[in-house]
Amino acid sequence: MELFVGKILPYITVALLLGGITWRIWRWMIGRIVHNITLSPFPSSWGAAVAWILWQIVSFWNIFKFDKPLWVGAWTMHVALASIFGGHVLGIATLGNQFHLLLPWIVTEAQSEAASNALGTTFGLIFLVALLYLLYRRFAVEKVRVISAPSDYLHLLLLILIVGVGDYMRVFHAVAVEYEAARDFMLGLILFHPGPMPVIHETGLINWYFFVHFLAVQIMLIIFPFSKLMHPFGILWNRWIYNRPYPEPPMGLPGVKLKL
Amino acid sequence: MPKKIVKGQELSQPARASARVLKRLYVREIPDEEKPAEALKWLDYYRKDRRSLVMAMESCVKCGVCANECHAYLGTKDPNNIPAGRADLMRKVYKRYFTVQGRLFGNLVGAEDITMDTLEKWFSYYYQCTECRRCGHVCPFGIDTCEVTMAGREILWGIGMIPDLQGAASAAVYERGNQGNMTKQALIETHDFLSDEIEEERGFRMEFPVDKPNSDILYVPSSADYLLNPETLKGACQFFEYVGANWTISSHMTEAGNFGLLTEQHSVQRELVERLWRTVAELGIKKIVFGECGHGWRAWKMYTPTLTDYAIAGSGYDYHNRVPIVHIHDEVAAYVKMGKLKLNPRDNRLAPVGKSITLHDPCNYCRACNLIQNLRVNLYASVPEVREMTPNGEKNFCCGGGSAVLYDDPEMYELRGKFSLKKVEQIKATGADILCAPCSICKAQFYGVLKEYHHLDIPIQGLIDFVGAALVFKGHRQI
Ligand code: SF4
Ligand code: SF4
Ligand code: SF4
Repeated sequence: MELFVGKILPYITVALLLGGITWRIWRWMIGRIVHNITLSPFPSSWGAAVAWILWQIVSFWNIFKFDKPLWVGAWTMHVALASIFGGHVLGIATLGNQFHLLLPWIVTEAQSEAASNALGTTFGLIFLVALLYLLYRRFAVEKVRVISAPSDYLHLLLLILIVGVGDYMRVFHAVAVEYEAARDFMLGLILFHPGPMPVIHETGLINWYFFVHFLAVQIMLIIFPFSKLMHPFGILWNRWIYNRPYPEPPMGLPGVKLKL
Repeated sequence: MPKKIVKGQELSQPARASARVLKRLYVREIPDEEKPAEALKWLDYYRKDRRSLVMAMESCVKCGVCANECHAYLGTKDPNNIPAGRADLMRKVYKRYFTVQGRLFGNLVGAEDITMDTLEKWFSYYYQCTECRRCGHVCPFGIDTCEVTMAGREILWGIGMIPDLQGAASAAVYERGNQGNMTKQALIETHDFLSDEIEEERGFRMEFPVDKPNSDILYVPSSADYLLNPETLKGACQFFEYVGANWTISSHMTEAGNFGLLTEQHSVQRELVERLWRTVAELGIKKIVFGECGHGWRAWKMYTPTLTDYAIAGSGYDYHNRVPIVHIHDEVAAYVKMGKLKLNPRDNRLAPVGKSITLHDPCNYCRACNLIQNLRVNLYASVPEVREMTPNGEKNFCCGGGSAVLYDDPEMYELRGKFSLKKVEQIKATGADILCAPCSICKAQFYGVLKEYHHLDIPIQGLIDFVGAALVFKGHRQI
């Protein structure tokens, strides 16, 4: 079990994730953008169109404008997700030293690790609360409930499982995974020399919390390309169709007596 | 049309086109037992052809933002009228046959087999969408459910499920080049009558040229104007005469509306595009000016360039730049902005001083054609007082009749009333005395439901009507 989840599955996961994303996007690109069906007011140039798309992505502008209660949950959730994703990569790679490396003359190593821990825990908890709020909303708000399929709930539950276990490991130090242990394990995978999974210090036995966390993340990454989780790519490909400039024909009627 | 019952749920549907109408459309109705399989083939075709459809099928996260922004859902509270719910009627089938998750997990991810019931639902709900694009405007991903509706209607067309209204209008387009089935004789008679009216009002006569060779400008009115909106025709005529244009109306192509966009883009819309370019070549036209019609203008402005993938005598390659297609309100606004038209808003036969006018923004003008500002330039210059609706511009709500869901069957008429609830609320809130609706479908919807269904008695006018009436002529012409 540990062998499969810790040493074999990760390679399958990455292959399915990258292959799946490529395949799905290839499928999208089969169809043509037959007509210019941009939404007006038209962006004045390609630059303006791209700026508008990026603005939509970072601010969730349409959700903010048309559904504020959702914006509170969705935007917060995604910001927490982005921070935690960044934190995992940087924190594990630099052993919590990321802020020291960024601003060596201001932040000491110890301060950096403390900040990394504090931020990780804070965003982890915000993430969990936001997810629970979104789950509640899906049940409680009628207009959303009636368009939801079972999978819409399952996606949220899977994320809640991942974040819940992650937060548990953060909050209860006895089951925490140290940066070194996590780095060694990930480095082993990256260098194709997979090592053992992190253990619990006191007992020396495998850390089952980590096991569940790691497995659930892999399940999520495997279904990512084949489900609605692909939406960060979807927004780019979709808005590319609807937010584009349109060259207007010149005004002025030919052959009239009253010229423009 | 009697109500269809599908799984205990009542479906409202428009009356279907008869076998005779289908024949005029060159469409063969497929027997019921073969319909699902055939529809699936069409769906497979469209998903490979149109990226907008694939993206709509594959990018929705069911966030629900679109729900309270669709007038159809606001009016009926029917979950299938939530844009995401409407798209789901097709998405369930799409998932089941064309996605990995749907094939593996079926119901769990909301996938469903295609059956005759599915198609009956499509026929009901894809004709309850007014293709107003408000959902596309509000969706965080920009998913435009209008594209799903269009594909749904085209698939239904392919298997012979066509509403009588759309079918008959499209057949008339094939036969006469306008939806109203008007002959050249009828056009000329109406023109004579309108010329008389102008003579009475102005003291001098203006003519409406028909099929005049070597004209510079082709004016394409909406055929509905001949039956319902005479002031719109008069307004356009007065503008062209004022600037001294060498213009004409064509009896071969008298339709600014476009039922092709609303039903079948391959055949009906193509027929209209071909008729337009043949007219252009025949009469030596240098610029085409379109009259008031929301969806129609979207079809002509945004689709004609890409639908003209063949050679045209007299225009040829780069045709739409050599013979530009423009909207009358864009042209008028250019003149108004340059101060070239003498307009007196305080002497307007249609909008007397003391009356206030509110503008209904036709959805397709403002969410598909960039006309928001220019409509206002023209309106503010021509009438004494304007009261804006909220929200307006690109955030406006549809009139409830868009894409010609102007059915008179009792259940569908009831729905038209419900679809316009939001609009009526907006109109009432302005307290205006006159409603300006510069789109012939909007006008038809308002004539049909405001008084009878909502007991709101308010005069309805197009926008060029006001411009025409506010023009100050010096003698016969300005120059
Ligand atoms: S707003 Fe867009 S993503 Fe959200 S449910 Fe509607 S169509 Fe789907
Ligand atoms: S196009 Fe308009 S009517 Fe149709 S689903 Fe979207 S908002 Fe509703
Ligand atoms: S009929 Fe007019 S308001 Fe209604 S959808 Fe069409 S353009 Fe919009």
